[in-house]
Amino acid sequence: MKQLNFFKHNKSFYSVIFLTLAIFMVSCKKDSDKKDPGNIEIEFDNIAVVNGIERQLTLVSPGSTDYGYTNGMSQTFNINLLRYYITNIKLEGPNGEVFTDHVHVSSSGTEGIYLVDEAQPSSGSVILDNVPAGEYNKITFTVGVEENGVTEGAAGGNLDPATCKMFWNWNSGYIALKFEGQSNVSAGGTTGTETLEGVTKGIAYHIGGWKTIDGTAFVYNNKTMSFTFDTKAKVEKGLQPAVHMVFDVIKLFSSKNLIDFTGNNNVHKPVDGKPAAENIPGAFAFDHIHQ
Amino acid sequence: MKRKIALLIGATFIIFSCGKDDVVTKTSPYSLIRPDYFPEITYPLENNPITKEGFELGKKLFNDPRLSLDNSVACSNCHVKGVAFTDPQHNPSVGIFNQIGTRNAPMIANMAFQSEFLWDGGVSHLDFVPVFAIENQKEMGEELHHVVYKLNKIPEYAPLFKAAFPGIDTITSPYMLRAISQYMLLLVSDKSKYDRVQKGEDVFSASELTGKAVFDQKCAACHSGALFTNYEYMNNGLDLVFMDVGRELISALASDLGKFKVPSLRNIMLTAPYMHDGRFKTLDEVLEHYRSE
Ligand code: HEC
Ligand code: HEC
Repeated sequence: MKQLNFFKHNKSFYSVIFLTLAIFMVSCKKDSDKKDPGNIEIEFDNIAVVNGIERQLTLVSPGSTDYGYTNGMSQTFNINLLRYYITNIKLEGPNGEVFTDHVHVSSSGTEGIYLVDEAQPSSGSVILDNVPAGEYNKITFTVGVEENGVTEGAAGGNLDPATCKMFWNWNSGYIALKFEGQSNVSAGGTTGTETLEGVTKGIAYHIGGWKTIDGTAFVYNNKTMSFTFDTKAKVEKGLQPAVHMVFDVIKLFSSKNLIDFTGNNNVHKPVDGKPAAENIPGAFAFDHIHQ
Repeated sequence: MKRKIALLIGATFIIFSCGKDDVVTKTSPYSLIRPDYFPEITYPLENNPITKEGFELGKKLFNDPRLSLDNSVACSNCHVKGVAFTDPQHNPSVGIFNQIGTRNAPMIANMAFQSEFLWDGGVSHLDFVPVFAIENQKEMGEELHHVVYKLNKIPEYAPLFKAAFPGIDTITSPYMLRAISQYMLLLVSDKSKYDRVQKGEDVFSASELTGKAVFDQKCAACHSGALFTNYEYMNNGLDLVFMDVGRELISALASDLGKFKVPSLRNIMLTAPYMHDGRFKTLDEVLEHYRSE
């Protein structure tokens, strides 16, 4: 009875409840605000570091004798084409944040498999959406298309074998990274998508190989790598930080193995592409973040 | 009154959208039947369910020479229906501009049960085999993107693609390739006397049993099971020096030099010439090779 009385007559009690509720509601709102996911952009920028200075790449037409770059063996070269696949992107943060990009392959298109093409500057920008709010300071990704991209069957989008120009028909699967150009030291005779037979001094590196077959020397050339950022990318609704990654084409030929353009310069098989494939992780680097 | 009109509009809308939906989604499923003594189906049918419309489209594409550079060579030129989809006349197969290839066209049957294709097993999904055929300089010499471009320009194809793959608005390569696969998947060879015996509907004659005993002893290690192949890569002693490196091209393993996929022996009476390069014209020559080995 007493209590009932209390309820009925104690105005301050009601205001306490009201206040608590209000605080609860406000803090609730704040909480869910914080959890609203946002976007993050990962930018893959192809460069050449010459004398310690980062330079944007210049593509030349097949057959050009204008050699703007020098490899680790002091052999000059130029570039007609540079394309590679990025997939399985994963972001992690110091407080346990994890975002794994969804990879899906079907006849109508692909998700989570990106084709970076130097000839198409916008292709280097990958926008990931629905990334849980939080801070991220680590990225992991794979260069090359994994088994699930092949066993799904004929696919569309970035994997459409008619348009991607990254498909090996005789050894079905996708080329992870394709480089074509000319070098003054090459004897020529290479074949490529752009560097055609007859173009003198051609060099072609079609690096691929996703099969792992027990008991064979079949070479798996896809590479998965992780990078830690020196700052953090803050993700939440309304913010779209950009993580800037660079790919140094000079290091593709020197980071681990020195590639000599005088021989093995017409690479079209997994086994021949192994030395250059091993240079891929060392050719990528984290550069900076635009918050 | 107003209400009635609204209702009427609503109703027509429903009827209309229903009708539209019906037109868009109607495909009739076809099923691939696996005899129980066959190996498991390896093709991922869930990604590409076979339908009447897809099968018919695949069949049309398979027989259409416009898939080749000079519009002269269809898949069916080298994979002829009457002879278990092999090439009876040519040794090896002849492609565009009458160029001679280096390998003999294999039979296309029971593809649903196979997981690696070509004599060296380089292609690991049936959908991708036509890419090899189309882009091979000595077969059809075309570029896949150009074939797709041509198909989009041929008016008869648009409705067929839409019927087989409801919802698409342009023809792209994955749909073309999946349709061709649907056709090839249903080419199942399971009506021979061997099959009738397996099903308990027939018995082998005495001479057939003698042959079977020899076969089981001498041949079945490689030509095993209901499809008469273990799908491995073997050297059956044809050469000491290899013009064609075979499986080594794919596996990069020196010990695979000159090894080829053990071929199925179904329809073997029809599939001459024999071996990866079609060197033997008759089965007698084949047996002579094995006898002298
Ligand atoms: C010029 C002749 C020619 C044409 C045209 C041709 N093929 Fe073939 N086909 C071959 C040869 C030769 C092989 C074996 C190739 C090899 O092993 O390298 C083959 C292999 C195949 C195989 C693999 C069979 C197995 O058991 O591994 C399939 C499937 C196939 N072709 C389907 C097709 C389709 C579909 C087309 C049309 C898009 C086509 N072919 C067009 C000659 C031809
Ligand atoms: C060591 C494994 C092996 C054994 C044992 C073997 N074969 Fe073969 N056979 C093969 C391989 C591999 C090929 C394909 C070789 C090539 O084309 O280079 C083949 C090809 C053939 C072909 C040609 C098929 C075609 O479509 O071109 C026939 C027919 C054949 N074998 C019959 C036999 C018979 C009969 C025996 C037993 C007397 C036998 N084989 C024993 C591995 C074997």
